[in-house]
Amino acid sequence: MNMIETKNLTRKYGEKTAVNDLSLTVQEGELFALLGVNGAGKTTTIRMLSCLSKPTSGEAFVDGHSCTRESTAVKQVIGLSPQDTAVADHLTVRENLEFMAAVYGCDRGEVKTRADRIIEEFRLGEVEHQRAQTLSGGWKRKLSIAMALISDPKVLFLDEPTLGLDVLARRELWKEIEKLKGRMTVVLTTHYMEEAEHLSDRLAIMVAGRIAAAGTLQEILAQGGADNLEDAFVAIAEKEGIA
Amino acid sequence: MNRMLAFADRNRKEILRDTLSYIFCIAFPLAMLVIMTLVNTSIPKESGMTVFRIDNLSVGIAVFGQAFVMLFTALTVSKDRAGSFLVRMYATPMESSDFTMGYMLPMLVIALVQNLLIYLASLVISLITGPAINPLGLLASMITLIPSAVMFIGFGLLFGTLFSDKAAPGICSILISVSSFVGCIWFDADNTGGVMLTICKVLPFYYCTRSGRSAVRLDFGVNTWLVPFVIVLACAAALTVLASLVFRSRMKADLS
Repeated sequence: MNMIETKNLTRKYGEKTAVNDLSLTVQEGELFALLGVNGAGKTTTIRMLSCLSKPTSGEAFVDGHSCTRESTAVKQVIGLSPQDTAVADHLTVRENLEFMAAVYGCDRGEVKTRADRIIEEFRLGEVEHQRAQTLSGGWKRKLSIAMALISDPKVLFLDEPTLGLDVLARRELWKEIEKLKGRMTVVLTTHYMEEAEHLSDRLAIMVAGRIAAAGTLQEILAQGGADNLEDAFVAIAEKEGIA
Repeated sequence: MNRMLAFADRNRKEILRDTLSYIFCIAFPLAMLVIMTLVNTSIPKESGMTVFRIDNLSVGIAVFGQAFVMLFTALTVSKDRAGSFLVRMYATPMESSDFTMGYMLPMLVIALVQNLLIYLASLVISLITGPAINPLGLLASMITLIPSAVMFIGFGLLFGTLFSDKAAPGICSILISVSSFVGCIWFDADNTGGVMLTICKVLPFYYCTRSGRSAVRLDFGVNTWLVPFVIVLACAAALTVLASLVFRSRMKADLS
């Protein structure tokens, strides 16, 4: 079943086309990576899929709901972890989680149950009562993703989830993201080749707002005529006249 | 409702855990109350200047304190808008009314607690310096000043929505100065008369202190209390509607 489907999705900002005629599908339970350099249109795509931006033309559907006409229904089934960590700084880790659960309409008992579960699952226990502003970058990212998961979304959008993290924090976060595979549909944007390679079931390479290549890692390697993703990425980008 | 209350609770915690809130919203107005009381002891009785007499000063300081609640409302909203926190919240099922009420409700509670503390301190001071204030008058004044608090919070929401987190505090500081001056907190416009009184009467702040001061004296006359109270009430309603519409329109623009 298609959990996400876009049809000729286009977004322009004045003269600049950020996303150009993007058509893709993401299957239920799949971890799909959007790989591209800065300014390739990855975040704009995520914004349109999470109803934060309206397409100039084309359509996007999440769980069968139109992102433009049925945004309330879409927002009920998605979780978003934006590029910046976007946590409430003066609230503790637990309070941030409980706050998000309440925003999704959980009653007091359910709020606590869900926060307990996520804290255990993400091993946030040691920082549970620590204010978000005092957390390290890695913990903040973990919290940000945990906040996006508290509503039990069908679709999780992770916008550059490991941007700016050191290698250990990145690997730690990869483990958490890997655990989500199969449980829900995950779309993550990244410009780290090894991240897309390591985590994704399928990936798409975005170049200048377009999907230059999409498929499994093996299919991308074949399309780029290379034996590693970085070389394949460069070859595909060069073909598009970018690199 | 649940969403709005959850958001209101988050805002309450964010503000109450910021030390600056206590300094500006509680400590500073209380310090001004004490300082101006001391100033009042140096003013000769023959001058007929009563603006710093505790029954008048208490209301002036209460309105002055509300202006700082406006500043913190503007800061909270503008900071949320500057970062990506609101982006995350926009991707949830929250509506624009959840945001505006969620910002306003905790601020109103903070303004009420602030007013209570200022009036309790005023009551103690009045027992020491005289004239003694009737506690019932203070209670009536607290209720009378609720629309004034809503009006200031409305200003804060409006400025926080319209201006950046750098500009909003500056704009608020200007309004704090203007409102305390034309609100007749530091001088008696009625006795001054002339152009100054006309300017004061054009703006809503004069009516905040006027209705509050009448209530302290348990004077509920039409001209002394009712008319100023209704003017403030109307301004509070207008500001709330305006700020909510501006927030909704900004949210719509952010999501376009």
